[in-house]
Amino acid sequence: EVSDAPFMTREETSKYTDALRDGRVEQFTFTLGPKSLITSPSYPMVMGQRGFCEIRGIAWTGNGRVQRVEVSVDGGRRWRDARLLGPALDRCGTAFTAAWDWDGKPALLLSRATDELGVTQPMPAEARRLRGAGSHYHNNAVRAWQIDADGRVTLGLRALI
Amino acid sequence: MNGYARRLAAVAMLAIAAAQADAEGYGIGSPASAADIAAWDRDVNAAGVGLPPGSGTAAEGAAVYQAQCAACHGPAGEGGPYDRLVSPFAADNDFGGDYSVRRTIGNFWPYATTLYDYVQRAMPLTAPGSLTPDEVYALVAYLLSANGIIGAHQPVDAGNLASIRMPARDLFFWSAESRQLEAQPLPH
Repeated sequence: EVSDAPFMTREETSKYTDALRDGRVEQFTFTLGPKSLITSPSYPMVMGQRGFCEIRGIAWTGNGRVQRVEVSVDGGRRWRDARLLGPALDRCGTAFTAAWDWDGKPALLLSRATDELGVTQPMPAEARRLRGAGSHYHNNAVRAWQIDADGRVTLGLRALI
Repeated sequence: MNGYARRLAAVAMLAIAAAQADAEGYGIGSPASAADIAAWDRDVNAAGVGLPPGSGTAAEGAAVYQAQCAACHGPAGEGGPYDRLVSPFAADNDFGGDYSVRRTIGNFWPYATTLYDYVQRAMPLTAPGSLTPDEVYALVAYLLSANGIIGAHQPVDAGNLASIRMPARDLFFWSAESRQLEAQPLPH
């Protein structure tokens, strides 16, 4: 059925809206900010021996093209650029890769995407500061993988908070 | 036949079959009758267009609620395993800062018509679309009354539902990008 105005269904009102910090609730937000995920290493993989391995992942943004992806292996203290694989196209998933010489010690892997508008993925605390806790549909905060000394990979959110 | 001739014959048969299907239809599905479409065409918009004849009161709705809704949503709209439905509007609710503050019909829904549209198409979860219009109006009246939005004895029907103003309505606003889309002229 075609309409010339929103029906104001449950999904357009009580769900899929963003409660902002000033008390207002924003409807019809279609653009999602930059986001990236490391796909390898990831849960439930177990790393092999220490040494060179590849950090692989995908980044995307509703603002257009992914411009840059950085990775960190120490929880965000130091960042370096990953290499983008293939063309970075408008609102398409863009693969990235980075070489990592794992020293066998516990590590916290992060990735952070920046898009062509210059918007960078925020860290979780910054994401909460920017949009509040009630705006979860737009949660594009940096995600982390925890790697233990025995090579086991688990979700590393707790370490970032 | 040798392999090549066999493949050639298979391709020829497919081509003939495809040409015939093109002429007669693919033999998949059946046309939707006007009755089929009418049964699906049950949406209700914010202006109340689409509301069917019928009416209900909170007292009638209480009985329907106990039978159809309480098991999931709790005996009085809270305390059940699924979404909380009842919580009066409070101006100091910090939805933006605290996701544990439950968003309910009374404190968060901006339009009353949404309640009719959603309940009649989607509830109860085990038999969506099975409630009669009178039952849905009764449930709507029960839930609006429980949330302090209408009086306990006010009947709800197609004539008045769209004019009931929800207390959370003033919280809601359209994003700038959607307003831009709406301002664009429609393509010819």
